[in-house]
Amino acid sequence: MSAAVPQKVFDDYRVLPDEVLKPGQPRVEKFLQAMRKSLQQKENWTFWLPYILSLDTCMKCGTCAEVCPVYQATGRREIYHPVFRADMLRKIYKRYFTLPGRLFPWLVGAEDLTEEKLDALAESVYRCTICRRCSYVCPVAIDNGVIVREARKILDEIGIAPGELKEKGTRLQLKVGNATGMPTAAFLDMVEFLEDEIEETRGYRIKIPVDKEGAEYLLMHNAGDYLAFAETVMGAAEVMHAAGVDWTLNSPNTGINDAVNYGVFYSDVEFSAVIKAHVETARKLGIKKLVVGECGHAFEALKYLILRLIPPEERPFEVISILELEDRWLREGRLKVDPQKNPEPVTFHDSCKLGRLGGMFEEPRRILKACCPDFREMTPNREMSLCCGGGSGFAIMEKGGFLKFRMETYGRLKAEQLKATGAKVVACACSNCKAQFREIINYHKLPMRYAGVSELLANALVR
Amino acid sequence: MDLGYLIAAIMPYVAVAFFVFGLGYKIIFWSKAPVNLHWELFPYPHTVSEQLKEMLTEVFTLRSLYLFNRKFWLPSLMMHYGIYLVVTWLVVLLLGFPFAPYLGMLGGVLALAGSFSLLLLRLFIDEVRKISVPVEYFNLIFIFLLALSSLFTGFLADFQVRFYLLSLFTLKPALSIVANYHVPLLLLELFLIYVPFTRMAHFAVKFFTYHKIKWGELH
Ligand code: SF4
Ligand code: SF4
Repeated sequence: MSAAVPQKVFDDYRVLPDEVLKPGQPRVEKFLQAMRKSLQQKENWTFWLPYILSLDTCMKCGTCAEVCPVYQATGRREIYHPVFRADMLRKIYKRYFTLPGRLFPWLVGAEDLTEEKLDALAESVYRCTICRRCSYVCPVAIDNGVIVREARKILDEIGIAPGELKEKGTRLQLKVGNATGMPTAAFLDMVEFLEDEIEETRGYRIKIPVDKEGAEYLLMHNAGDYLAFAETVMGAAEVMHAAGVDWTLNSPNTGINDAVNYGVFYSDVEFSAVIKAHVETARKLGIKKLVVGECGHAFEALKYLILRLIPPEERPFEVISILELEDRWLREGRLKVDPQKNPEPVTFHDSCKLGRLGGMFEEPRRILKACCPDFREMTPNREMSLCCGGGSGFAIMEKGGFLKFRMETYGRLKAEQLKATGAKVVACACSNCKAQFREIINYHKLPMRYAGVSELLANALVR
Repeated sequence: MDLGYLIAAIMPYVAVAFFVFGLGYKIIFWSKAPVNLHWELFPYPHTVSEQLKEMLTEVFTLRSLYLFNRKFWLPSLMMHYGIYLVVTWLVVLLLGFPFAPYLGMLGGVLALAGSFSLLLLRLFIDEVRKISVPVEYFNLIFIFLLALSSLFTGFLADFQVRFYLLSLFTLKPALSIVANYHVPLLLLELFLIYVPFTRMAHFAVKFFTYHKIKWGELH
């Protein structure tokens, strides 16, 4: 069974296997019902306004396409045009939910939804990372990203969502505390192992506090970092230790010990379930500040998306990124560094979620400039940074040949950018980006490595 | 009731009512929308004066198009300036400035040239044609015909139109003045009725997409 190549429904990839997509089964009616709900203010207040305005007001000028990494990298293939993708949903919207579309479908481009079109739509909304680069340049500020996300929400409502994001993502996280499925005992072993590792490389031992109640700082990483990017976790621990602050990590014993929230990518229901669990964990521990580790979408969720979802009195703690702390402590002289310890040329990748969506442009730059003598900007950068291709869940999705899609589209543009800097290290502060860079460097055979910002900072620390 | 009377004496009120109430209804509808989750794009202007500066830059230079979609920039700029000038024409004409007809004609010419070149771009650039549906062409042709008939009949060049407009306020329309302008007048009226219900209302939508969403209300 597993050897069988799933039938094509949109392009050469199939990120949603047959078990999830269920082609051939009748789903159109359910889809339309879920879509009707998504168009109602009360049912979908979280994104109603950007969603409706984006559906209604696209001028079809094509400016978005000029900056979309997927469209550009595929040699401007029609099916990857941001408007082509948005129109797949827009045609349904017009046909079933607007008067002109019902009266004069041919005039406004309204089309009936068929099972085949539903298949294609479902795959298509997983060809855009919701990086919102297009929305930043759109003259009308139309958001193709929000349309994609709303389509993913509707699809999830009718049971179509990538297993990586749902069963093995939000569902698993809510059940065991993290999306890696790591139980408390294994987590504690891991922390001890990291203490050993630090001792081995640095020659001194530090204590990594876990589950300390009432601590000033609760540092929560993307739990995947413990397994894949342990250097970042160790680096952050060394920084906290060097700063001499009252801090702690937490184990699944206390609730959620994983900063990720894949609901950001495909479902507001899942999103709010996870973020409520985050809040509950932080409250139970009685910490004062929740520090989000190097994870872009977690920062977006806990820093911004949370604000109107959970009233301030219900979240009696501050949310702050590890980058903000590191930057502040460096400027205060609380952390001392010797940049010569990082002699290689270093460049920085602005993660969409931290930069364009999070406003965190200067902090990582100040940190890197302080601890790397040869810092090089990648162009374009900051708000015009190109998405690496790991965003919106892509970094953990590989089914149906999807890794190739990631590498040949976003990945190729990013590889060219990286090469042009001549840097030996690409620093970034987002787990998904790191996972994508790991593959890009490998696939495109780049003579460089990736590193977390905290890792480089820790390496430059002087005691 | 003859058609001329309908166009010159009744439709103006209907059209303005549609425009004002249609647009007003939509604006109120949008402003009553539940406040969405924070979804800003950084960096964005924070103070009113910064926001005003950015909005005006976009309105008067169409900077996004200039920076990222240059081939659409000049045609689009022409059409927008055409429309801005025609709106200005209306104001200065009512105020009685003698140069008003020149503004009107310049506006008409720009709108004509702009809509025509945008139409050509849309027809002949493959990738833009592929994302266009008939209504896009319809809108451009509408503006083109409106500009064409306004210029051709001399509607925009005639200072006397002022007295017709003023007479509308007194509810005693001076019908004879516009006897030759029924076509542009009708098109203009239909245009005013049409705009609020189409994406041509994007000038109003922009307020929301920028101020409420892209720029947020965080600070
Ligand atoms: S740039 Fe904006 S208005 Fe233009 S086609 Fe793209 S989404 Fe539509
Ligand atoms: S959000 Fe990013 S990937 Fe998606 S259409 Fe826009 S630019 Fe392209």
